[in-house]
Amino acid sequence: MHAARNVALCTKDCLCLFICPTGATDTETGQIDFAKCLDGCRLCVDACPSHALYLVFDRYPRKPAKEDKVVEALESLLDSKVAQEALAEALARSGSAGAKLAKALAMSNRILAEDCAREARYMLPQSEQSKALLRQLAGQPHTGDFPAEAVGKLLASL
Amino acid sequence: MDERTYSSGALSVICSNLTKACEKQMRPAEAEQFRTIGTYFATQATKSEAKAFADLNGLIAQDLEQGYPQVASAAEVAGDRGALRCMTWGKKVTSIHKSVLARYEKQGDALLAGNNLFVCEACGFIAIAPTVPELCPICKAPASRFVKI
Repeated sequence: MHAARNVALCTKDCLCLFICPTGATDTETGQIDFAKCLDGCRLCVDACPSHALYLVFDRYPRKPAKEDKVVEALESLLDSKVAQEALAEALARSGSAGAKLAKALAMSNRILAEDCAREARYMLPQSEQSKALLRQLAGQPHTGDFPAEAVGKLLASL
Repeated sequence: MDERTYSSGALSVICSNLTKACEKQMRPAEAEQFRTIGTYFATQATKSEAKAFADLNGLIAQDLEQGYPQVASAAEVAGDRGALRCMTWGKKVTSIHKSVLARYEKQGDALLAGNNLFVCEACGFIAIAPTVPELCPICKAPASRFVKI
């Protein structure tokens, strides 16, 4: 559990520099040096007058189980949004009038689809559901350029 | 229902969502790995040959008449307020798609003249306006969450 800075909120009063016992808050990028940050210390979070510092957690809870019917309804909506994103992308690629609108629609449909995935049990990368999917992908036959290494690394680190 | 098979397009969405989750958790290495997997499935996904905006109308109508009401009734029975939140935002954003497309069909490129396009990266709301909205009317995210197209 270490601190992170929302640079857009930071008013550069620099009280975090005064209070941090390790110097983790004083960096050339403005972000906290995670290697120096003390696990769970939170002194800078409490000292910051602009609420620009917060804690990033290393462990996340197991979420309540989702009802099958909710998941099914969300996943069928997800498929529809995926189809609409593909349609909008084709229109954007065509380069004709309205390509910009098509690009906006493609992006919007991607966000709508991601929200369906999130509520259909893929909210946390660490969740059992996410890991089960990675294991399933790792065990399936794929074409040569399938990023098996990335899947393996995620299964090892999550 | 654990071993369901997803289309490549759906897998690309699941992975791009988990990429964003890793970024929020400040885990850049894992974010990059999910991005790599998501990009792979995006290239594997079926490409559309759509020629006209009207090709979207059928799916939009289906979502508004069946897709979202089905999520709403299942979520209400289950007391799943997260799914209800997703349904509430998504239905409104989809209605905006419908009205934007209807306006574009009538006005053509005049609709976009003098305006910019902004997309709320929290809920997907599309704004057609000269300047970025102060607040998303659907999800209340601030101006900083809008992406200019």
